[in-house]
Amino acid sequence: MKRVTMNAVVDQNLCIGCKICEKVCPVYAIQVTNRKAFSDDQKCVACANCADRCPQHAIKMVERAEIRELGVDVSKFDPKEIRALCEKAHLNPEQILCYCTGTRAEEVAACLLGGATTPEEVSAQTGIRTACTIECIQPLLRLVQAAGNELHPDPNGWRWYGVTTTAWEIPQEVKDKYNSRGFYFDEDRELLDRVVKVGADKQ
Amino acid sequence: MENKNLIHPAILPIAPKPSQYGIDPSLVKTRVAELPGMCSLKLSELFPELPDVIFPGGEGALDKLYELAKDEIRKVDMSMIQPDQSVNVLASHHGFTLLGGQPYAVLLKAIRDVVIEKTGCKNIRLRAGVGMRFRETEEYIKRYGLDTYYGPGKAKGVAPVDEGIPIETEIGTLYGIKAIYDADWIIHAHHTDVREVHFHRQIDKAVKPFSMSYARIESRSTYHQNLGPRAANFTARAIFESKFVQSKFAFGAFLNVGPHGVIGVIADNNLYNINDRATFIGCQLYGKVMTLFGKIDECIAVLDFPCPVPYVFSAGVIYANFTGANSDLYDMEGTPLPGYTWYTEAFYGKNGKPLLPETPPLNPAIKMCVHNYAWTGYPSAFFSEHIPTVVVGAEQAKLFDTEPMNIKYMDHATIAKTTEGAMEFAYNATGTDKVIIFDGAMGGLNCSESLAKELIEKAPAVSKEVEEVLMPKWFRQRGVDMSVLEKLK
Repeated sequence: MKRVTMNAVVDQNLCIGCKICEKVCPVYAIQVTNRKAFSDDQKCVACANCADRCPQHAIKMVERAEIRELGVDVSKFDPKEIRALCEKAHLNPEQILCYCTGTRAEEVAACLLGGATTPEEVSAQTGIRTACTIECIQPLLRLVQAAGNELHPDPNGWRWYGVTTTAWEIPQEVKDKYNSRGFYFDEDRELLDRVVKVGADKQ
Repeated sequence: MENKNLIHPAILPIAPKPSQYGIDPSLVKTRVAELPGMCSLKLSELFPELPDVIFPGGEGALDKLYELAKDEIRKVDMSMIQPDQSVNVLASHHGFTLLGGQPYAVLLKAIRDVVIEKTGCKNIRLRAGVGMRFRETEEYIKRYGLDTYYGPGKAKGVAPVDEGIPIETEIGTLYGIKAIYDADWIIHAHHTDVREVHFHRQIDKAVKPFSMSYARIESRSTYHQNLGPRAANFTARAIFESKFVQSKFAFGAFLNVGPHGVIGVIADNNLYNINDRATFIGCQLYGKVMTLFGKIDECIAVLDFPCPVPYVFSAGVIYANFTGANSDLYDMEGTPLPGYTWYTEAFYGKNGKPLLPETPPLNPAIKMCVHNYAWTGYPSAFFSEHIPTVVVGAEQAKLFDTEPMNIKYMDHATIAKTTEGAMEFAYNATGTDKVIIFDGAMGGLNCSESLAKELIEKAPAVSKEVEEVLMPKWFRQRGVDMSVLEKLK
């Protein structure tokens, strides 16, 4: 669940149509047409990426007249299906994925079970990855992929490039090479596995 | 120790700074250090074994630092840099939050000047990375005149959502920021300040920016979501060890910083030599302050510094680490999950309790947090959700309420109109008169007299415990030979 309290507003006089705002928007809310950027109030999730990367300082965040709320009702979906999807991505359903909005894995899973197929659709519906837009990208991609979707980064944007290694995939030779330098690879994997299983017996 | 001689008038806190991430400095009417009953302790008196510092050091200290930095940087091999090539000096936002920011700016100027002097190369650019506040280093570049010093178009702030570049590593593809690597050579300009022990656990601290300020979102998320709380910083080593980064790395130049000030400058072509030094400084010098803070039994914590909530400083320790000081943050085996780190925050269930019952709570010694002045730009609702928090001023509350990363911060915090009113409420509600102030006071720490007495009393035993019991354990866990410490002396 996320409350959207702000909106991106473009100063058309300052905009030079460089398209950086387009490339960093996590939900395709801002687009450049005829060398000028336009932000759609109904799509903007107020992450402020466009405003903060605009080289002309042409975009300002202003308060919305009406607060918009994003969220997916988890209770409408089968908890077993939610858990199965989360576990496939090595996540506990109750685990928080987005530190900014507090979005949990179960809500992302519910969104995917409801038909979303891309990270952008999940962000627009749940609010995940609509603030810092940094830290939750990997678990988001993992869940989208675990739901059976192929990941195709937009070649015209910089939204995300792809999934990366997890604790379950680090090669043994890498562990052997670096274990003695204080990286607790296997111990951390065991800890993450324990987190994933919490609550499983209740279902 | 004699209490009276060690208690001093409060040190002038770091001034509020104009920034899009904080309230207008004119709205900060009162600093908590100015209030009755507050005093300061000098770290060099609390821990007399701390090495001497260059800064703070009176008039001319920054000039002295500039000359010393140049002397140290001149010792590095730069023969790989040709006059017609390009060099990126890589900086991070955090350096500018240390000791007022000037020392780090001086280092960045010294690096540029010596590279020109030794190589004849003129195409030297500054690339300054950020955490989550994408405009932060742009503000610093202007504030410290680095845009004019490096020349038109040469100094640039970069952010993790900027165009990326894939980097092949031993654990697969990770991603850097393209502008960081768009030169023939890179120079890693950093410091030994520990800052986020809860994240890096003092493992490869000197390497960390390769997975953070120089990295794209994919790599940062790998660190904070994919590998686990103690393996996280391997992301940094994997990127740094890649053929791509190694083919560009010229040398590292670090401010050698302790909790009490700038000790000197370290420059080396081998980053792991610098890393060993950083490990010792982090464990030995900062470890004592962290351990001492962990002995505080009850207090009111005051935030009063131009940085986001977790990054405000007291005696070189950030508030985030104080919220985890009830555990030994350096202990890799005894503290798999500290009271605060992002993995810990992620593992809190819908009932507001940790999924794993052994997870320590946020430091229960913090009875209340008075947020007199701190910035947005970092998700901080976890703190106000678990620690009673009073925010001073409606303007500051409004700023948090409308900032995307902190939409929920004020859901759990209350507002006081004035600093005095907030402190009065905190005293009455908690029943303690012990106050620790995170205001960046240079060379010491500002606190209440009652807490000062307690810290003075406990410091000698803490020093002994760190030297004789904790450090051998910490180094063993990191595969570091204690005898190296002797060589470094």
